[in-house]
Amino acid sequence: MGTSLERLIATTEELSTEILRAQLDTPSNIEAFRIRFIGQKRGLITQLFKQIPHLPKEDRRTAGQVLNALRKKAQATLDSAHQKSVSDPVNLSEIDLTLPGRKNQWTGSRHPITLALSRITDIFHRMGFTIAEGPEMEDDWHNFTALNFPEDHPARDMQDTLFIDEKSPDQPRIMMRTHTSPVQIRTMMAEEPPFRLIAPGRVYRNETITYKSYCLFHQVEGLVVDEGITMADLKNTLYRFARAFFGEDVKLRYRSSFFPFTEPSAELDIWWNLPDHPDGGRWMEILGSGMVHPNVLEAVGLDPERYTGYAFGMGVERPAMLRYDIKDIRLFYENDVRFLAQF
Amino acid sequence: MKISYNWLSEYVSHGLSIAELTDALTLSGLEVEHIEQHDLSLDGVLVGQVRSVHPHPDADRLQLCNVDLGDGTPVQIVCGAPNVAPDQRVPVATVGSRLTINEKTIRIKKTKIRGQVSMGMICAEDELGISEDHHGIMVLAGSSTIGEPLKEYLLREQGLAADTTLDLAITPNRPDAVCHFGVARDLSALQNVQVTFPDVPIPPSGSEASNHIDISIQCPDVCSRYTAIIVRDVTVGPSPVWLKQRLEAVGLRSINNIVDVTNFVMYECGQPLHAFDYDRIAQKKIIVRESAEGETFVTLDRKQHILEEGMILICDGKEPVAIGGIMGGQNSEVGNTTTNILIESAWFDPTRIRRSSKVLGISTDASYRFERGVDPQRQPWAAMRTAMLIAELAGGKIVPGMVDMYPTPKPLATVDLRISRIRTILGIEIEHRRILQILESLGFAPRETAEGLVSCIIPTYRPDVNLEIDLIEEVARIHGLENIDLPEHTSLQLSAPRPRPADLLREHAHIHLTGHGFREIYTNSLLPDEVARQFSQAVLDSDDPPARTLNAVSRSMATLRPSLLPGMLMAMQRNANHSQRVLRFYEFGHVFHHSKRAAAFIENFSEYDVLLVGISGAIRPTNWDQDHQVADFFDLKGEVCQLLDALQFNALRMQPSYTATELTDYHITFYSGRTHIGVLAKLSGAIQEFFDLPDPVFFAEFNWTRLLLLHEKNPSQTYTRISPFPEMERDLSVSVDKSQAVGPMISTLRKVGQPLLRNVDVFDVYTGNQIPTDKKSIAFALRFGGNRTLRDEEIDRIINAIVNAFSEQFGATLRS
Repeated sequence: MGTSLERLIATTEELSTEILRAQLDTPSNIEAFRIRFIGQKRGLITQLFKQIPHLPKEDRRTAGQVLNALRKKAQATLDSAHQKSVSDPVNLSEIDLTLPGRKNQWTGSRHPITLALSRITDIFHRMGFTIAEGPEMEDDWHNFTALNFPEDHPARDMQDTLFIDEKSPDQPRIMMRTHTSPVQIRTMMAEEPPFRLIAPGRVYRNETITYKSYCLFHQVEGLVVDEGITMADLKNTLYRFARAFFGEDVKLRYRSSFFPFTEPSAELDIWWNLPDHPDGGRWMEILGSGMVHPNVLEAVGLDPERYTGYAFGMGVERPAMLRYDIKDIRLFYENDVRFLAQF
Repeated sequence: MKISYNWLSEYVSHGLSIAELTDALTLSGLEVEHIEQHDLSLDGVLVGQVRSVHPHPDADRLQLCNVDLGDGTPVQIVCGAPNVAPDQRVPVATVGSRLTINEKTIRIKKTKIRGQVSMGMICAEDELGISEDHHGIMVLAGSSTIGEPLKEYLLREQGLAADTTLDLAITPNRPDAVCHFGVARDLSALQNVQVTFPDVPIPPSGSEASNHIDISIQCPDVCSRYTAIIVRDVTVGPSPVWLKQRLEAVGLRSINNIVDVTNFVMYECGQPLHAFDYDRIAQKKIIVRESAEGETFVTLDRKQHILEEGMILICDGKEPVAIGGIMGGQNSEVGNTTTNILIESAWFDPTRIRRSSKVLGISTDASYRFERGVDPQRQPWAAMRTAMLIAELAGGKIVPGMVDMYPTPKPLATVDLRISRIRTILGIEIEHRRILQILESLGFAPRETAEGLVSCIIPTYRPDVNLEIDLIEEVARIHGLENIDLPEHTSLQLSAPRPRPADLLREHAHIHLTGHGFREIYTNSLLPDEVARQFSQAVLDSDDPPARTLNAVSRSMATLRPSLLPGMLMAMQRNANHSQRVLRFYEFGHVFHHSKRAAAFIENFSEYDVLLVGISGAIRPTNWDQDHQVADFFDLKGEVCQLLDALQFNALRMQPSYTATELTDYHITFYSGRTHIGVLAKLSGAIQEFFDLPDPVFFAEFNWTRLLLLHEKNPSQTYTRISPFPEMERDLSVSVDKSQAVGPMISTLRKVGQPLLRNVDVFDVYTGNQIPTDKKSIAFALRFGGNRTLRDEEIDRIINAIVNAFSEQFGATLRS
């Protein structure tokens, strides 16, 4: 293939001379030397080695020896130059160790809501909850009826709920879900108890966007249904969650409340220290909860005499705003890099 | 809903401080949202006696009063009130005292008013914070002592004391709790003490009253009860201080003694009342009917309303006089000259009132209560209580009897409660006796009908209680959820759920993308309709229209996003406006559109997960030895292919297109088999300009739901043994026509190189004066390996085969 041992040896000699004469007094010409002769890809000696297979069989051994000797020589020259450059104060003066390091990649980041959502779901995951999801677009039955909302409940009003144009003259039936609770219904319809699930997701309110309200936000829903589940189990789970999320010494309050789909219903408050507040802080509501209403169990075909269960739901933005002292909810959806870079 | 601490304490001696009361109510379900203290800051305000009154020599409206403050030296005070007169006992803010007027604190000083010395101030009620009355100075009764602190007098004579208002958040299930009685009842159960409500003798229906008013209900479905009582010969005037203070504590303004009493009784027992001027009721008839479309009515506040069909109208013999449950009319309003009063106490349908209130845009204390549902048995009591208070305060005479129209009395319901069920639900043991106590205090009249079975009669003020679980909730909230001890151990079934592949895959993508310098963004799912339509084909492989909303509050949120792209472009625009040079974003989110295909969730609509990745601007941070370089298509293509590789989607087919669309200059479509998976594109210059972006934008949008399906079909990964034998590298440089695409050449390489070819890189694409102008040179770096030592001959054979295939398929020639 046009390659002969003679040509190879001639080239080797030329290179050998060049190696001898090489000026190796700065880090950059040492590096240039390395690349030129023994660079992994296109170093001259490396290239010569690649020619060996093309030589007649009987010459290959000689060629190998010649090239190996050349490589050794180049390596030895390089090594001594390296050593010299390290020990020689004159060469060191040419390196400026205070120059900034070379940044080859931008820094990425997860959105704070993703971070908060995963912090929440991770805690429940460790407690044995599985993750479930459902659609953001829902029908009236899953979002309201099956969850024991009466026919004339104010949440069904156009004012609060975002309905979808179905191009049909009837009552609007499709909406953007107002809470993650329909995931409870979908899961209980599709599978058999026991259930122990956590459902993170986006929910909608038909609201004008201001610093304190947005037309959508994120929630995490929890559901446990089995034989023998009690409110004591619920309280236990929530307290353990809150301590894992807010810290072991968090001050908690569990108070009665009302939701159509749970009974008894309760809200969990945490005491939030505010140095400027006259009382030194105040109670902040962080989640709603309760025992699954028997009407809900019946709606999904479960016998409330046999099964009991609990459900809970919490917003994600509010606690995040509390934790990071964010005063304007819109920041989450404006995606200003100066905001995103802080998480 | 506001309640007064002092007022509440009249019905139940709870023995709780304000802080304790706040806690007790909040924990049991009546959340105290706000506390407001009303101090009587009357230090230095004394009872004085006016000795004499002389006109001010230099001011027409002012008078010089000589006032005795009980210390033997009467002082001169300048007063502008028209009603000041000799011998009156009056409150005097003495020199050095402080008053809070209109939230401003004023210090009373010795002063000169138009040249005359004034040693203090004679006060009106509003200046003392007793009421909002500013008609004139407050005149005290003769039982006061000259020189005594006003505070002592007020407490002794008028029961007036500092008070605290608790503002409660009432949940929709508690229509009974929108009044002091309801809160008192909860409190009696919480503290296990008795409640004492005022004793009101309820007159029999009929009697003389029925001769003076004729009532007919034409719509008993929405007005199931209407009770009326008449009070004659009243004198309309200001209310006494105690009544004014009660109303002020719950945030109401005093109007006159008649209206004030109706408001007082409403806040006392929860029943809204209306007082008509009896003499303005035509033909002495009350007809309750539903409105017809387009009727008009002028309410008390002088506003004219056009009514919808089906609002409840209270009419006299001639015309409507009130919108039932919402507001009375101007035509029958009680005024200063009114002498005879007709008191209305009725039950209106909650749903109907709610709708009317919303349509009319009027929300009143009455509508707030009717919407929630008032007690259908409270009407006679409330009417008589009102009549008695009016008779007492306005000096009238109650016409004996009443008219009580209640055509279909609501039957009392009974609900059984299994004591054992309480434990089943709550997981704690509550003492049997305490359970019965709670139910008794709340009015459920519990009766043990069998071992462990309690039968309760549901009072009409608790329409929310229908089931056993409702009773359990009552027991739970009064017993206190705080008293549920946390178990140390639970009997939960042991489970360590497997992470879902979907979550693992997404997590992997997050790690990869953030590691590659992308920032995750969250954008609005709602877009202006025209934007949604414009971007509807960014990722879709169909022309299904986007999903519009029916009732969005603003045009900018009219339609659900069919693509994440517009949201990202807005985020890029925002950041570019703030001089951010590097825009590298990704977002996971749902997109929506109409669809005729079989729906996963909602018929006629499609919703699925999408991943969008986009870049614009500098590809890497500024370094001291590298040039600034703006990202191009291949930067994103590299990122995307690395991501797909990392997630093991290695069988996707890429289909390039050099045709510009409205959105893109050129793009690559990703397929799995024939299934559309996503696109990778350069955004069109026009759209880039529209969003004011300085550098070209490249984006890739993937149907994540479909990728997930592929992922789930991927065979589970096993380890491939690492070959102990060396790999061999070869470079191959060929010359082809300039127009020849490299992609197909790589495919050919891969195919022909089987099974030893391990990797292909393109390390150079060259055009220039070394080669003919219509040619380009492409250099491939090839890596071969196998489970044995490869021989040069076999690699040579493969290279030869590749060169032949290249020559055949692409007219390529080998460059030496």
